Amino acid sequence: MKRIRIGSGLSRLLAPLGLAAALAAAPAAQAAEDLVLGGSIPLSGVFAFAGQGIHAGITDYVKIINDQGGIKGRKLRYVPEDTAYKVDASVAAFKKITSQNKVNFYYGDSTGFSKTINAELNRTGDILMTGASFATELNDPAKYPAQFMLGPDYTEMFGILLRYIAKEQPGAKVAFVYSDTEFGRDPIASSRAVAEKLGLKVATEIMTPPGSVDVSTEVIKLRRADPDFTIFHGYVLAPIPEFVGQGKRMGLKTRYMGTFWTMDNSTVMQMGEDAEGFMGVMPYRYYYDQAADAPMLKKIREMRPQYQSTGYMQGFLAAMLFSEVAKRTLDAGKDLTAANMKAALDGIKDFDTGGLIGVPITIKGNSIPVGRIYRADVKQKQMVPASDWIVLK
Amino acid sequence: MRIATAKQTYLADEALFDTRTQHVWLALLAASLVLFPFFANAYWLYLACLVAINIASATGLNILTGYTGLVSLGQAAFMGLGAYTVAVMELHLGTPVLLNLLAGGIVAMLGGLLVGIPSLRVKGLYLAISTIAASFIAHFIFANWQFTGGTSGLQVPPARVLGMDLDTSFKIYWLIVPVTVLMVLGAANLFRTRIGRAFIAIRDRDISAEVLGIRLLRYKLLSFGLSSFYAGVAGGLWAYFFRVVTPESFPLIMSIFFLAAIIVGGMGSILGSILGAIFMTMVPEFLKLVVGWLPVGGDALRLISPVRTIVFGLLIVGFLIFEPHGLAEIWRRVRRFFHLWPFRT
Repeated sequence: MKRIRIGSGLSRLLAPLGLAAALAAAPAAQAAEDLVLGGSIPLSGVFAFAGQGIHAGITDYVKIINDQGGIKGRKLRYVPEDTAYKVDASVAAFKKITSQNKVNFYYGDSTGFSKTINAELNRTGDILMTGASFATELNDPAKYPAQFMLGPDYTEMFGILLRYIAKEQPGAKVAFVYSDTEFGRDPIASSRAVAEKLGLKVATEIMTPPGSVDVSTEVIKLRRADPDFTIFHGYVLAPIPEFVGQGKRMGLKTRYMGTFWTMDNSTVMQMGEDAEGFMGVMPYRYYYDQAADAPMLKKIREMRPQYQSTGYMQGFLAAMLFSEVAKRTLDAGKDLTAANMKAALDGIKDFDTGGLIGVPITIKGNSIPVGRIYRADVKQKQMVPASDWIVLK
Repeated sequence: MRIATAKQTYLADEALFDTRTQHVWLALLAASLVLFPFFANAYWLYLACLVAINIASATGLNILTGYTGLVSLGQAAFMGLGAYTVAVMELHLGTPVLLNLLAGGIVAMLGGLLVGIPSLRVKGLYLAISTIAASFIAHFIFANWQFTGGTSGLQVPPARVLGMDLDTSFKIYWLIVPVTVLMVLGAANLFRTRIGRAFIAIRDRDISAEVLGIRLLRYKLLSFGLSSFYAGVAGGLWAYFFRVVTPESFPLIMSIFFLAAIIVGGMGSILGSILGAIFMTMVPEFLKLVVGWLPVGGDALRLISPVRTIVFGLLIVGFLIFEPHGLAEIWRRVRRFFHLWPFRT
């Protein structure tokens, strides 16, 4: 008797996968002349507010540079992928973009991704990378030779804040409030030493779980320490409003400060009345800054009529620096390898960012150690400058 | 249709794959697994390795939750234990890769045995909550112990096999996939043995199992130990693959990922773990591909990306509504159709 048997087995599943792989193996045809800027961007997920801004910033600058004819006649092409701020999705995006394009520059979305991809970057040696991270660990040109960051690292940010405090109120008491994550713990140990050196007393260090909602016990701890200044780090918004609000109600006289990711105008203003006097360090100018020597800000306001976050500024600066590095490397007649591009980056001295940063910048190590103290002005609903531009040596 | 599959020996009856068609398909599977790396680009190789690691871990979780009925949310913690063990041994001792993976599995197994002790008193959802403790304890240890690199974690040098560094996805594929295949076959064989049947008996009614003479203490702990051994080896492979291990690499959400993988794939079946792991890993990437095909520009990508996350969630919910027994049941239904054709039932 004739038997009709259709087989079963696990193989049936992987055959289409293999077929898809074979189809995908052929790389997309592209103009060999294009310079490619790849990006693992957190367009969704917990970091989406920043990712959307970063994406817009890079897109706009790429448009500006291409409208000017590109870099030495070569167009800059931006190839983003959404990662939802997950490291394995970021790495997948990196592999996808690099297998389909000849990538020269890359923007990474997190410290975790920057550390994970470092080995691969060093192995291939043809991509220069920056990202959203300001982790102190990444500011090491020996360990991370193909990477740099778009501002001061977190320890340097704390340094700028502590120097400001030491000038305002010598011998003041400071409290560190940080989240129990790699992001939060990053600058604490080294900043303790900096504070001691500046003659400041670290009254207390409070560590909270990253997603904490109820911080009443921590506020009591803060009240007992009675610091003159409290520096928050490792958060985006929550639980800072709880700290500030409850602290004010308990009669705490401390002044509150934050680092880069807590300093966006929209997040600070969400605190309402409690935001008054909230300070922090920011390496960039804000979107609404009407400074006379900021032609780029004027251009950004023309392109985007509504408020753009600090993430936008960071993405914009990333594309700007990448373009400058490409130009310098090609001008020197060198190939676009990571080593050559990093050398070009290191050679950037007193570079004018078109007003994005208030002073001409120089890359030191893997960071740009410059920043300004800003203060929240609730009446104007804006962050206003509270100090001059500080450049760390 | 499939007929005349009567067996004449017990051995033949016990076989995992008994028909010639199955053997042919398995041979094709083996061939495609061997040939795949030569035709795939870096992206697909990366995904294949990631899927293999997830399959190994999901299989372990299925042994515990699907077959023994002990809901566990500690899978990521055990993977972390395995990953850190491998990282520490590779960094400080420089021992061979397979020894490191074995050690990772054993350390994770010890952790699993410890976490499994409450299972003798608490059941169901309450056990799940007590296994969450594993995640927090593991995270605390990893983040605060200088030996494990503190919050910045450890950078793992590439696995070294026969004098060659496995530093690309192509090279490490040849480590990850054979190990995963062995583990999956081991798990499949486990449920032909007395131990496997004891697990299933515990899941179905543990009091009856005890009455039948299955010592609950022994077998529940064995289930935890075995499942966390699988997680430990998967974690070790993870460490060699990503080359960076931090306390934040194994959050609670990863345990939920694996639980979702086996629920969507089908609890209580090896095929379910495989399908579930593939589904959970590949569908988000596949949705990104679909979005890439849409004729929209860069700015639309910004708006569509969050929609993708919603679609993924809806797909999970959809699969559970239309097939509560998981993807494995859909697979079996399709197979039954072909076995019975031209008849319907």
